[in-house]
Amino acid sequence: MVERKFSRAIHSIEHIFEFVSGFMAANGLSQENSFYADLVIEELFTNMVKYSKESTQDIAVRLERDGDNLIVTLRDFDVDAFDVTRAGDANVHRPIAERRRGGLGLHLVRQMVDRIDYRYEDRTSTITVTRKLER
Amino acid sequence: MFEIAVVDGGIVKLTGRLDASQADRAQLVFRGLARPLTVDFSDLDYISSAGIGVIIEAYKRITDQGHSFRLVRLNPRIRAVFGYAGLDKVIPIE
Repeated sequence: MVERKFSRAIHSIEHIFEFVSGFMAANGLSQENSFYADLVIEELFTNMVKYSKESTQDIAVRLERDGDNLIVTLRDFDVDAFDVTRAGDANVHRPIAERRRGGLGLHLVRQMVDRIDYRYEDRTSTITVTRKLER
Repeated sequence: MFEIAVVDGGIVKLTGRLDASQADRAQLVFRGLARPLTVDFSDLDYISSAGIGVIIEAYKRITDQGHSFRLVRLNPRIRAVFGYAGLDKVIPIE
């Protein structure tokens, strides 16, 4: 298991990608796994940056291998609750002209993971996603 | 790393990773174009919802002007993301 904190800014995703790449290499995991991990983390991290402006604290990203599963945990400190498991979904089946902006990132996350959990405690939001590893 | 280049006026070539930190730069380039467009994904390794948002906006604007807009040479992972986004049956992908 590895965990690192990243500053609350969009440009941090470049450093997160390096962190993910290092974890995958250390565990002998394929680029396929990096692609999906990067995408899931980018969507969740950028949502935290955009919608939890009340906090100035860094965001923690944890990567863990559990058998055939990759477990990714993001912790956002000193924020109001935002339950991603209850958030509205993007209207991906509507004609493109009728689609509203927003929600696509979480929609992609839901499509790409096997499980998503949310916990809120002591003003800390914790999102944990699990995805089966590709061989 | 992300690069966007306009080749011969009608082909937009994307290279590298189109993520949230690069989406504004890509958007600026697309907004400067008003003609039929082919977007070449052959050297694009990664795209997130921010990048897809840029493609959706460009598609709407270009087709609203009566021009064609198509995506070509997507790798299987990126093509799958467009499928998850429900765009593979909306935007022409070859």
